[in-house]
Amino acid sequence: MERTRKKTVKTRGVILFAFNSSKYNYADMAVYTARRIATFLELPTTLITDVDTYKTILDVKNVFDSVIEVEPDLTNIKDQTSWINKGRYQAYELSPYDETLVIDVDYLVNSNTLLKTFDLSDTFCCHSNTHMLMHPEAAQEKMGYTYETLWATVIMFKKSNRAKQIFETLEMVQNNYEHYAGIHSFIGGVYRNDYGLTIALKIVNGHTDVPSDYIPWNLVHVGKNTSVYANQSDAQVPVDGEIWDFNTEFTIMFDHWKKSKVRKEYMLIKDMDFHVMNKDLFVGIMNNG
Amino acid sequence: MGVLFTMDTTKLIKDAKARFSHNSAKAYLQEKYKSKLVIAEQGGLWNADAQTIGFLNSFSDETLVVIDTFDNPVKVDRSKLLESLTKTYNNVMTEWNSEWKELERKR
Repeated sequence: MERTRKKTVKTRGVILFAFNSSKYNYADMAVYTARRIATFLELPTTLITDVDTYKTILDVKNVFDSVIEVEPDLTNIKDQTSWINKGRYQAYELSPYDETLVIDVDYLVNSNTLLKTFDLSDTFCCHSNTHMLMHPEAAQEKMGYTYETLWATVIMFKKSNRAKQIFETLEMVQNNYEHYAGIHSFIGGVYRNDYGLTIALKIVNGHTDVPSDYIPWNLVHVGKNTSVYANQSDAQVPVDGEIWDFNTEFTIMFDHWKKSKVRKEYMLIKDMDFHVMNKDLFVGIMNNG
Repeated sequence: MGVLFTMDTTKLIKDAKARFSHNSAKAYLQEKYKSKLVIAEQGGLWNADAQTIGFLNSFSDETLVVIDTFDNPVKVDRSKLLESLTKTYNNVMTEWNSEWKELERKR
């Protein structure tokens, strides 16, 4: 008798972590980013959040494929307030998808480029290099005196033993962050996912580089002394509908300091994703400014 | 269609007396199109660049072992890969050229 094998259809989706702080409404950023993800990547989004943050977006919860509530870890203090960025390691266990993208809520999805990451690896990949808009010659950031920083802004993983191991190691690094800060000579205190990921991946790889772990293009940052503005407003179709016609063109402005004088420079970009380091600028874009 | 208030970026540039940065714009274009030249095919990851296309073109064999961008030796159907890379190269470079020409007009 001939046996037939059912073809398994892999599920794909995006995970966003959002926990409101006294300074920023990360939930609103997550809603905006999820809408952009639906438009440009055509993928469902799962939100990982806490009860209080979730309460603030109940009226737009349908933007998300699912919402997972977790207990927030309030132990990371930055600028005298809790910055809830710990717990990223939970992405592996909590993801309802076979193939997952974990994206920071302040990463502006403005193209379908990230879909390519699913073709890059059978297990895991993240960015290892950055490009600063208006400052292309900027050096790569180093973690203390040892490694160049890897970036947790965009992570792609597929359910696999290796990916599981990476996230378990990330948890271990988070729990022993001060110890690793001492080893790698960086300032501990405030936990950074980028550093946690750098250490975890290096441990899993036996302190060598595995090229397929790295996305072969740069993470584009809007960094220091740089502002970004939307050239046009986003439009909702109809006025209260769930279809969005997003602006894809942005003006980047840079304060070029030379001999104590500032000269403004600018350029225009379109159809390219970027990470906005200054949250206020991201909020400005969200509000069509 | 609902349209919210938006910042007038043209006015913003004018008021700030900002100068267009050609170098940064050129670097941005390179960054943007570099990612589009990467394709995954036949179990390898490839850059649709002149070097890879030229290399594949210099052989006549049906199959060939080629080092991909992850430094893995991958056995490929040469003409099939060549066709995909050439197609990607043409599409991406045409777009890049058109955006670059737009940029040059600002000079």
